[in-house]
Amino acid sequence: MKRPGGSYLFAVYAHVDELVGAIGALRESGAKEFQVFSPVPHHAIEEALGKRRSPVRVFTLAGGLIGMAVGWGITIGPLWNYGLHVGGKPLVSIPPFGVVAYICTILFGAVATLIGMVINTRLPQLTLAMGYDERVSSDHFGIQVRCDASQSDRVSRLLKSRGAVEIRKIES
Amino acid sequence: MEYRLSYSDTDTDLLRTMGPPGRSYWLALAGLFILVLAGAGAWWAQIQTGVGLAGKNSPVGWAVYITTFVFWVGIAHSGTLISAILFLVRVRWRAAVYRSAEAVTVFGLMTAGLFPFIHLGRVWVSHWILPVPNFSGLWPNFRSPLAWDVLAITTYLTVSSTFFFVGMLPDLAVVRDRVRGWRKRVYGFLAQGWQGTDTQWKHYTAAYVFLAALATPLVISVHSIVSWDFAMSIIPGWHSTIFAPYFVAGAIHSGLAMVVLLLIPLRKAFRIEQYITMHHLESLAKFIIFTALVVGFAYVVELFIAWYSGEQFEQAVFLYRMTGDYAWAFWLLLTTNVVMPMLLWSRSIRTSIPWLVAICVSVEIGMWLERFVIIVTSLAHDFLPSAWGLYKPTVIDSTIVIGSFAWFFFLFLIFVKVLPAVSMWEVKEQLEAPVKGGSR
Repeated sequence: MKRPGGSYLFAVYAHVDELVGAIGALRESGAKEFQVFSPVPHHAIEEALGKRRSPVRVFTLAGGLIGMAVGWGITIGPLWNYGLHVGGKPLVSIPPFGVVAYICTILFGAVATLIGMVINTRLPQLTLAMGYDERVSSDHFGIQVRCDASQSDRVSRLLKSRGAVEIRKIES
Repeated sequence: MEYRLSYSDTDTDLLRTMGPPGRSYWLALAGLFILVLAGAGAWWAQIQTGVGLAGKNSPVGWAVYITTFVFWVGIAHSGTLISAILFLVRVRWRAAVYRSAEAVTVFGLMTAGLFPFIHLGRVWVSHWILPVPNFSGLWPNFRSPLAWDVLAITTYLTVSSTFFFVGMLPDLAVVRDRVRGWRKRVYGFLAQGWQGTDTQWKHYTAAYVFLAALATPLVISVHSIVSWDFAMSIIPGWHSTIFAPYFVAGAIHSGLAMVVLLLIPLRKAFRIEQYITMHHLESLAKFIIFTALVVGFAYVVELFIAWYSGEQFEQAVFLYRMTGDYAWAFWLLLTTNVVMPMLLWSRSIRTSIPWLVAICVSVEIGMWLERFVIIVTSLAHDFLPSAWGLYKPTVIDSTIVIGSFAWFFFLFLIFVKVLPAVSMWEVKEQLEAPVKGGSR
């Protein structure tokens, strides 16, 4: 995926409260093109960002429903073409076919969840974010901001004032 | 329980498991590899000569291969219990042990999955049973529990492998960011570009909850379906409605014991006792008391129903189990599965490592014997005395069974060296996040 041009600032924070403060300050300043990096998911970060719920659940539901339909389909479907009565049992036997539908619901639901996660998280990513700092997967937090070159000094000062331990500036 | 650690301590301590292996590691790996080769050689001999080399024969057509298949599927169950169910009910001690438990699930299924093929007479034409109508002229009989079983086990392996790998992504990124050289490229590929952005975490945590929610019913359904391989037939001793809950409880019983057996050397060898604490082992031991009681209750109810049914064949089979050719196995399984775990009521015993190991080994022996007794005694002694017969193990089938144990532990030993065996990000979630001026 081609990155949009401009200046990238990557600020590293040692503390989550400073990071949350920096997110608030960025939002107040009207910045929209930034992303936050953290080693673990954190409620305070989610609240500060105020983002909507993940659509992954829609994938799960759709996958589960498709799986259920497939389960009933592979068991009942062939009977339309080749109905074979065995031992006086009904052609469409709900209890045994229900087992197959149940398993297919779970299988397709799980695979769809994985697909939903992969699509929404935009994985796999061949390159890491501009200025990515390896500490953010371990014990630090980060914010990457994209801004015009003319604004980068102002944004950099704002991030620094909120406790950033390091700020990297990358021109692309 | 509360950890008194920082985020960076966690990474440093837990990545120690992936450090250069010592001599004892290589020796253990080599020993297991030799046993795996022995098992593979025995299977090769069976393929070359025929299934007659295994002890199974009419009337005991299902013997140690199916016993061991059911045993390994059962072992797999505790992993999902710990990783998915305890996650959904927010049990905090789960974080440090779930990755190993999930590995037990994946490797248990990878071992179990070999046995239907080992059991087949002509494994080289096993593709004939694939449901490809134009090729084989076959379509599965979906009324058969064997067809459900294939679907259930493959679904279970797919879902648990997905959960295992997805759960590991953030930790693989930690490894990628800490190592250098070719290892950085390998872990960079495995981490798939994970960076822990807010967008990634949002969708990741949502997917994680749904995967856990989808894996949870599998804990109940997979071994229920395995039990119906038996219960849907009319063989005395098998045709019983208690089989599904009875098998599920037994599966979790053996699986928990296996997790304890793997965690004890893991925490000792890699000095991670402050992460996998005695509290974790004690919690698992309490779980084992519970599953032992459920399994014990099932044994009693099964015997009671056989007597109360007034069904002479059912009564005869249970009498045969208690007094017949395999009575030693019946009484031994009762002792090892139910009586031995009762010692865990004593706090001093469940906090003693040697006792825990002894009791968990006893549970594993008991659970294998339980499946052996169910399968072999019912087939050996069904309706007509003229059709009765005994199963005797052979060198070939015993070597294959031993080889399967070696294969499982071999996979686990490789896992602890190449992948993070304890979930770093989930342990960090249990810690106070770093705030300015110290912890909140």
